[in-house]
Amino acid sequence: MWSRVSAVGSRRSGACRCRLLSYPWGAQDRGPGSKTQKCFSTSTGFYNKEDESATSTDSSGEKASENQEKATPGNAKKNLLNIISEMKVELSSKKTFQILKTLKTKEQTKDQPESMESASSMFQKATADSKAKRSKPLNPELVEAASAVASSLPFDRKQTVSDLLAQLRKHEEATDAQKKGETTNISNVIADMKIGKRRLTRGVSRPSSQISFDDDDGQGDMFQTGVLSEFAGSKRRGLHLGRRLNIFPVSPTVTEGTPEAESSPSLWDLELANQIAAVNQKPPRNGFEEMIQWTKEGKLWEFPINNEAGIEDDVEFHEHIFLDKYLEDFPKQGPIRHFMELVTCGLSKNPYLSVKQKAEHIEWFRDYFQEKEELLKEIDDHEKETDISLEKKSLSK
Amino acid sequence: MRQTGKMAASVLGWALRAARQIFPLPCRGQVRGYYVDWRMLRDVKRRKMAYEYADERLRINALRKNNILPKELQEIADKEIAALPRDSCPVRIRNRCVLTSRPRGVKRRWRLSRIVFRHLADHSQMSGIQRAMW
Repeated sequence: MWSRVSAVGSRRSGACRCRLLSYPWGAQDRGPGSKTQKCFSTSTGFYNKEDESATSTDSSGEKASENQEKATPGNAKKNLLNIISEMKVELSSKKTFQILKTLKTKEQTKDQPESMESASSMFQKATADSKAKRSKPLNPELVEAASAVASSLPFDRKQTVSDLLAQLRKHEEATDAQKKGETTNISNVIADMKIGKRRLTRGVSRPSSQISFDDDDGQGDMFQTGVLSEFAGSKRRGLHLGRRLNIFPVSPTVTEGTPEAESSPSLWDLELANQIAAVNQKPPRNGFEEMIQWTKEGKLWEFPINNEAGIEDDVEFHEHIFLDKYLEDFPKQGPIRHFMELVTCGLSKNPYLSVKQKAEHIEWFRDYFQEKEELLKEIDDHEKETDISLEKKSLSK
Repeated sequence: MRQTGKMAASVLGWALRAARQIFPLPCRGQVRGYYVDWRMLRDVKRRKMAYEYADERLRINALRKNNILPKELQEIADKEIAALPRDSCPVRIRNRCVLTSRPRGVKRRWRLSRIVFRHLADHSQMSGIQRAMW
């Protein structure tokens, strides 16, 4: 910013400073060094404050370095006032006329735009500089600068100072509001704006839209879209803005009814809820919305396709495969163990069952065999007897 | 479980009294829903029961259908499975037409009898179905 200032300033400096110099003093010297000195000399206010840096502003070549030096935060005060002098020529004529209106001063000769330029430039730089130090009351530097400018102007000093400070405050407020991101300014402005005749037609059309809203769900929303909804929103805000009049006694909210209803939602309540949900749903306007609706219902898969959509298995693979831990209760020898090992082998290869289901299978078998323990013992005894008898027979033979 | 229990309002003339949706809410009191005919209802019951007893039947059959366990155990298992309710076996389920409850001529993919299928396809209400011509 500083560099841009200097570049622009140097180009236009010739014209404006000539004018500045020509009016009261008539000197037409175009040397850069003398110019700056003369600029300082024209405004006594500036000169008083720029005493310290006046010596360093001998040549335009030093202007850039000067600017850079002044860019350091330490010399904020000097920055402001020095750059005021150098920034005089940056503005276009458009801005000068704007400032003329705002300050409401009499139209004057060429002298006025120049002084206005300085004032506006001071505004610009003031706002730019004070952004770093944002405080609700105006910066004392700004006040000083305002007083300096006022002194330079040929008008009533106090009046101009107060006007300038008011302007500054407005600017500050605007930038503060924008910083906070307040977007209600526009709506406030619109609310303040007069609508006049058009309001009647809109009011008339609203009851009709309300009537048709219930019947025609698809188009009921169309009436509310656009500007109408905005108006409705502003009206609602307007209703609740004012202070309470305390005319009617405020009854305490009844909370006894709700727990009763929640305990047993009757059929009618459910139907009502379904109806409300159905009313709020609008028929899909296009294929995309239809697909969205289907996805929500579950009719359409979610893309990219999730292979484990229905299965929420948090278990690792080893718990599916290594099922030996469930076989601890079984006998370690014999046909039952053999059988159970086959069962576990089959379950480990089954990808469709959850670990819980597999464990349930094995548990059932365990319970079953525990019930049949006596039987199994009898069977074992009987087998042993038959084996012994067979051996005896074989031995005897 | 193949049976859905819900019937869409039938397009066909003779099935206008098609089964209505069984109320999905677990409310107390009477719930009325209609299947196409009683045979369909019985089929629905069989399917439900088969679903309930599926695991048990699988386990007992696993005991029966192997030659590792002693035969006595397998005989006991035979008796046990015979003692289960008759409708719990999946063999008794018949894949009937969903709209007309026709037991024969039902295409499995669409769960519809051939007549209904033809009717819907001719009215271009079957997605991806076209008259064959080659």
